[in-house]
Amino acid sequence: MLRILSVLAGVLITVAFAMVLFYAPIELNMGLVQKVFYFHMAAAWVGMLAFLMAVIFAIQFLRIRDLKWDYLEASSVEIGLVFTLVANFSGMIWAKAAWNTWWTWDPRLTTTTIMAFTYIAYLLLWRGVDDPQKRAQFGAIYAIIGFATVPLTFFSARLLRTIHPILIGAGMDMNLTPEMLHTMIVSVIAFTVLYSALVIFRADIMTRQEAHKDAHLIEEDY
Amino acid sequence: MKNWFKTVRTLVWKDLVQEWRSRDMLTAMLAFAVLALFIFNYAMELTPANRAEVASGTLWVVILFAGTLGLNRSFTAEQDQGCFDGLVMAVPDLSAIYVAKAITNFLMMVFLTVLVIPLYSVLYNQSMFILSFFTVLLLGSWGYTAAGTLISGMTVQTRMRDLLLPILLFPLLMPVNMAVVKAAGGILAGLPASEISVWIRLLVVYDVIVSVVGVMVFEYVIQE
Repeated sequence: MLRILSVLAGVLITVAFAMVLFYAPIELNMGLVQKVFYFHMAAAWVGMLAFLMAVIFAIQFLRIRDLKWDYLEASSVEIGLVFTLVANFSGMIWAKAAWNTWWTWDPRLTTTTIMAFTYIAYLLLWRGVDDPQKRAQFGAIYAIIGFATVPLTFFSARLLRTIHPILIGAGMDMNLTPEMLHTMIVSVIAFTVLYSALVIFRADIMTRQEAHKDAHLIEEDY
Repeated sequence: MKNWFKTVRTLVWKDLVQEWRSRDMLTAMLAFAVLALFIFNYAMELTPANRAEVASGTLWVVILFAGTLGLNRSFTAEQDQGCFDGLVMAVPDLSAIYVAKAITNFLMMVFLTVLVIPLYSVLYNQSMFILSFFTVLLLGSWGYTAAGTLISGMTVQTRMRDLLLPILLFPLLMPVNMAVVKAAGGILAGLPASEISVWIRLLVVYDVIVSVVGVMVFEYVIQE
């Protein structure tokens, strides 16, 4: 299962990359730099998805109390954080070309960065507790409360004006050609599959690490 | 339910009496707040012209940072000599502990605010004795303590302890910070109520969400 997922992720990423390079047309106004958009969008999507999955895993852990869910949750946060940072930095490259500035205090930029800090804090908390059961409980609590405040942060930042292109919903101000849309969809699917493979890998490593730690402790005791 | 309220009242009373006997926390918070006010004056070159614009922000940051001193210590008394286990055994409903601690912390913040507002008014020659201004600060303080009590209950049990509290807490407080500064600043600038009400509603929503989450999950903070 995991092997199939990994191979699929590899193939899809290659296809998506090829599509970005050769299939998607060069944008009229922004030129080549617009091509960063496909992976930017996909990474931002995976970041959101990863944090949403972390909350689902957290609730699942609090219900069942199986550490398996805790490992999945922490893995999801770790990977989500990486993708969020990728989205942030690729966005900055694009912003420098499109808006002529690396950074603006736009709601999405602000919210994404605050969200990244929330999950950096999560990882610090998670690593700061030694007892696995307690660590899992704390992680789950923080994942839930963190996820509850992120929409509020976005809403409050949104009350101030936004210049970020709105892709979905009212006032679509980015006109994508069919080729661009295909490339975007393939990138998003590729990144989602990659995320699934990475989470399972990471959770597996965490499980093994803990088992190894336990075995070590027992050895030392005797 | 009646018992629950009684438990909360007893716990709050216990914490307040304990604080009143030493007054460590309040003294430290107040001293910190005054020092911060002085630092801000020189750090930002507050002239009478720009003072009014940054007043609400300065005041809130002072209250926020002074508050973390108190939050950090809100569970330390229970850390000694297994008091926490005793407390957990004595109180049937664990959510009462959370609510009581949050109320105690909130009262500390109210006390601090009541002292800092006149101080700010005197030092910067700007009257802040407006009821709606004070109400906004209280709404912000409740959201702050509701989230902070939950987080400090966890950080006190971690390896890094008080180092971790602000890092965990501040990202969660972003909406509160924005709403308080905007609403309080708007009131000071004399903006119409229609422009401020959206921020106040946001504060209320935040307070409700965080309080509900806090009551629901606090048992996992203290349960083994």
